[in-house]
Amino acid sequence: MKGYVFALPRLIARLAGCEVRRAEWSRWEVYSFGVFVFGMACVIVGCAVLPFVRPPFLLLLPLVVWPAFLLLFYLNSLLAGTLRRLGLYAAATNNPLQHFVIISLMTLLAVWLTSVPNEWLRSLGIFWLVLVGLNLLALAVLKILHEP
Amino acid sequence: MRLPMHARHWFRQFAVRGVFWRRYLDFGVTNLPIYLRAVMLFFWTCFFFFFAAPARRAILSNLSVILPKSFRLTNYARAWLTLYHFAWTICDAADHKLVHTEFVYELEGEEFLKQLAAARGAIVLTAHMGNYDLGAALFARRYQRELHMVRAPEEDPETARHLDQSIARAGAGGVKVAYNTSATALPLELLNALRAGEIVSIQGDRAMAGVSQREARLFGKVVSLPDGPFILALVAEVPIYPLFIWRTSFHHYKILTGAPFYCRRDGGARDAAVEAGLATWCRTLENVVRPNWSQWFSLVPIFPKR
Repeated sequence: MKGYVFALPRLIARLAGCEVRRAEWSRWEVYSFGVFVFGMACVIVGCAVLPFVRPPFLLLLPLVVWPAFLLLFYLNSLLAGTLRRLGLYAAATNNPLQHFVIISLMTLLAVWLTSVPNEWLRSLGIFWLVLVGLNLLALAVLKILHEP
Repeated sequence: MRLPMHARHWFRQFAVRGVFWRRYLDFGVTNLPIYLRAVMLFFWTCFFFFFAAPARRAILSNLSVILPKSFRLTNYARAWLTLYHFAWTICDAADHKLVHTEFVYELEGEEFLKQLAAARGAIVLTAHMGNYDLGAALFARRYQRELHMVRAPEEDPETARHLDQSIARAGAGGVKVAYNTSATALPLELLNALRAGEIVSIQGDRAMAGVSQREARLFGKVVSLPDGPFILALVAEVPIYPLFIWRTSFHHYKILTGAPFYCRRDGGARDAAVEAGLATWCRTLENVVRPNWSQWFSLVPIFPKR
């Protein structure tokens, strides 16, 4: 049996005739999507700071984006704590909320990327939006198919 | 200028082996979406590669013996990879403890594992390799057997307490931790447990100061290894099962259980029986560590300096 976190690879594997369920087992999914999210965050920050810094400094961007992510995780954990106290969030861990905030934030930034003049960056923004859209669609299809 | 006592105590939690990082790992496991862990662990590994200099040097020193013809620069990359695997294994152990994440296992020597689960008194001899904490917890749960785990003591008492709680939680009370110190009560306690038919798990790849040890040849070098497991096996007349668990890929592990061996006098001297057991163990360790060097987390130097 295969296991994937995201609905899109689960649906693709199912259509290919594999037995599949929701599980954190796929290294390709974890490594490729993680690097893609982080890389895209670096590109967006680079795009935003390019007018103010010299291009060689952009190589240091991962070292700036990494602590920015750590700060985001911390702020989200405070938000999760507040929501828990108000009885609005009851999941066992903060991971679902963190996932929701990160994907929403990246989607908003992808929408912004679609409006920049650079063709390559616009394509990246569109690619992200298509990916998120397809995953949501796959989620809906799997719900209809009564995925276990 | 010396800092006041309470200030030193406060700063100690941020040391490489301090409790802060263990707590931060728990925070990470319950807060990081799974797909961002690889990236975050990459950066944390880089961070510790520079700041955990004694551990880095120990790995380099071990690698130079395991892979004697390799370049020093290549060994730096290998040391980084070893720390990256270490980061993943402690992350997976925390994941199992806090979220009960499922892992995929491949078993080698399953018949020996079943024998061990049914054994009336046995010693599991393992190394600081792969995810031994997770392995012990899973064994105790799967076979409903109580396991006495002997570990090297943590330098920081708060880290030790945190680790004890983690292991107890992951093993659902099936794993009892005892620390390998110079205390005389521990061998008697372990002997009683073995005679009562229980399983004792010991890490036999590193000898702590003040603990009974003996010289043996490992990778062609003379090293001091603990002889306690072999003396216990001799006195309690129980088999020794070599057992290792290491990461094969993301959330995938391999459990290797070797054929059991005995330490018996067979009319000879006690020392000869212990030395024969130690030699068997060294050959097993070499066969497992050589192809899996990146998961031998012996973060203190074992081999004599050249």
